[in-house]
Amino acid sequence: MGSDNLKPLRFVIVDDHEIVLDSMVRVVQHHYPEAEILAVLTANQALDLVEADTPDAIIVDLSIPESTPVDATSQARVEVGVQLLTTLMERFPTLNIMVQSAHVQALVRLKPSILAHQGGFTIANKSQSMEDMLTKFDWALKGLNYLPSEMRSGLELKPEWLDVLVLAFQQGLQDKAIAAEMNIAHRTVRNYWSKIQDALGVYPEEGKNIRIQTEIRAREEGLID
Amino acid sequence: MGLVPGVLVVAVVIATRGLGWWQGLEWKALDTFLRSRPAEPLDDRIVIVGIGEADIQQVGTYPIPDRYLADLITTLETYQPRVIGLDIYRDLPVQPGHDEFRTVAQGLEHLVTIEKLLPPPVTGPNFLPPERIGFVDVVPDGDGFWRRSLLGAATDDGVYHFAFTLRLAERYLAQAGLSLENGIRNPVAMRFGPVELAPLTPNAGGYVGADMGGHQVLVNYRSGPSPFRRLTMAQVQTGQVEPEWLRDRIVLIGVTAPSIKDFANSAAIVSDNPGLVFGIEFQAHAISQIISAALDNRPLLRVWPQPIEYGWIILWGAAGLGLGRILRHPLWQLLVVGGGSLVLLGTGFGLLLWQGWWIPVVPTLAVFTVNGVVFPLFYWYDRGLRSRIQERQRVIDNTFSAIHNGPLQTLSQLLRESRDPAQMSPALHRRLHDLNRDLRQVYTLVQQEALIDKQQIYLGPQGIDLSLPLHQLLYQVYTQTLGKDLPGFQTLKVKLIEFEPMSDRTLSLDDRRDLCRFLQEALLNVGKHAPNTTRLWITCKQIAPEPAGVQNLIRVADNNQDNRSEHLVYDSNATGGQGTQQAEQLSKRLRGQFRRYPNSPTGTVCELVWPTGRRSLWPFKPTALIKRSKHPGK
Repeated sequence: MGSDNLKPLRFVIVDDHEIVLDSMVRVVQHHYPEAEILAVLTANQALDLVEADTPDAIIVDLSIPESTPVDATSQARVEVGVQLLTTLMERFPTLNIMVQSAHVQALVRLKPSILAHQGGFTIANKSQSMEDMLTKFDWALKGLNYLPSEMRSGLELKPEWLDVLVLAFQQGLQDKAIAAEMNIAHRTVRNYWSKIQDALGVYPEEGKNIRIQTEIRAREEGLID
Repeated sequence: MGLVPGVLVVAVVIATRGLGWWQGLEWKALDTFLRSRPAEPLDDRIVIVGIGEADIQQVGTYPIPDRYLADLITTLETYQPRVIGLDIYRDLPVQPGHDEFRTVAQGLEHLVTIEKLLPPPVTGPNFLPPERIGFVDVVPDGDGFWRRSLLGAATDDGVYHFAFTLRLAERYLAQAGLSLENGIRNPVAMRFGPVELAPLTPNAGGYVGADMGGHQVLVNYRSGPSPFRRLTMAQVQTGQVEPEWLRDRIVLIGVTAPSIKDFANSAAIVSDNPGLVFGIEFQAHAISQIISAALDNRPLLRVWPQPIEYGWIILWGAAGLGLGRILRHPLWQLLVVGGGSLVLLGTGFGLLLWQGWWIPVVPTLAVFTVNGVVFPLFYWYDRGLRSRIQERQRVIDNTFSAIHNGPLQTLSQLLRESRDPAQMSPALHRRLHDLNRDLRQVYTLVQQEALIDKQQIYLGPQGIDLSLPLHQLLYQVYTQTLGKDLPGFQTLKVKLIEFEPMSDRTLSLDDRRDLCRFLQEALLNVGKHAPNTTRLWITCKQIAPEPAGVQNLIRVADNNQDNRSEHLVYDSNATGGQGTQQAEQLSKRLRGQFRRYPNSPTGTVCELVWPTGRRSLWPFKPTALIKRSKHPGK
């Protein structure tokens, strides 16, 4: 993806509140001074932007209006945000997405789609700090996954992920070999790792090898012998 | 709706018509049609000279003495009528003036008088030859009305007598060159030139088993308020008549005094006195229809042969049946069948008006409307009722399912845990057991409709929107069910889940609801009966095994290591029966397959597979009502 580095990063942020939107843009811009940031107030505007030129990442507030900014006639609804996410994941399967919301529960039904999504997908609770939000956004941009505990019920894995774990830690295969063995793309294997890490609660930490962390957790959970 | 009820209606109508049950209605229909015809012009070939109430008062005595009749006939004769009919019995002399009357009567070759054949008989004047005497007998119908005219009859002594009306018509027509002959088309018919008067048969038209002795024909009454010119005796005697009213006419002399009660009953004539006309008027109609038919081609009343009549009834019965099946909307049905009925009535009236055909209208109308409207309406009403009953049964089932999958599961779990006497006293355990049984019996006692939001399914405190894509819906069922505190869920280390989009367009809300319940039940079974499960596989996706085509799959598999638990045999135990029954019914409805089999190396697999194609062969759920009403969950 060397060519990507030549192009400046491009983000889309959608939020129904102009003040929140402004501060978001400021914070993100501060962190990614090179990035081009497009801020919009409605779901349809966001969709138009993504369709025009797929951004590197999108930050979605769940509670947004559909086509006209919030006023007397238009209301921000969680349902609209859920619908926007559904459409985005359906049509842009590798798009990196960060969701900002206080209504995480509304996303439970999207979980099958989230688990199948090949781009980064993280969720930041609006009530948490800006720093936390930036971390989640960074993860999403790196193609990682993060779902808060409300979104999960115990340890959930897709059968393919388990295959990846077995091939990697029991047979010692590298990602490329795993991809060949499973007859999937290398990129998909990377995506699976990110999902597995999220499922096991393993996230990037300074000075720690994330693969080894994953293996330790997998053994703890009895996923591999 | 099958054809049977419609065919039955036609059969019943034909059978009852054969029994004569429709006779009265068909007579009434004929009367109504005849009365409704537009007025015909005056038949000036016939003049009625009535001896009215005033005439009798002037004469001062009744019967009218022969002299007055002789005077009247003599006066009339001065106007040179073609024939004179005296519709007054003169079997015995009524003095004074009998000799005078006798001389006048004998001298007038074109004078016809009357006799009566039916008991009590009244003979004609003995001084006149038989060919100048005609009988005036009439055979009334069962309802007392006169619709037929008797033209000829043989008496017991074998002598054939002709009617007063026929004698007059014969004499009148003879001068027009038309003599009375035998029929050509029908040899027993009487014929004047081209016109044949065929005798009625006992079952002609609407008649069933009528006395058609002699030679009887239907009377096509001349319509309108004044079919014939009417004069009084006084008018004639005082010369208040135009000579051409009488010249070359048929002059009928009769009594038209209400006190004498020489009445005919006819509902077919518009008269001041509904249903009643004077006898002389009835005779005038009977004569008029013969001479009008012979001279003006005015139609006589005719009937269809019986096979055609019944064919006509069957035809309309079939038309009604056809419309009932083709038209699917009650309003259209009413409109079209209403229109069809008007066509039928119009045809019946039109054929009578222009051709004189008396065709079956009432029974035909009955089979048409009953088959076309009444049966379909009943059918719709019945169908509506059935679907409401079915809906209610569904509500009851849903209610019980909700109870079964929720509180009853908790209860049975409680029962299981409380088997240990250290934890609970045996008495309390027994009461819990009773409570469990009682709750299960509630199902059969449920009589009230419960309101369930059609769009939602409630498995926990939160409703799930049934209109979501199926895999999202099932994922939420899984999430909510796994949230329950059950032994099998506590030991779980990992859940291997696959929730992928499924083909769900053909599924009804009820199907979706039941699929949710199926998954819930399958998961609950693991939670309750597989306490050593560490791994759980939940798969909800499309599969495409050759050659079955694309199928939807819901599968729950566990690795429970304690195979001696009742896990594998819970089909037969108290809580499993209802769940299995539900699953089997669901798979049958979806034309799919429900299986439960051992997992390898340990555990159990519970799966439902069904084809994704349209279920066009299953427009209804016919087994639901019957099967579900069985006592569940024993």
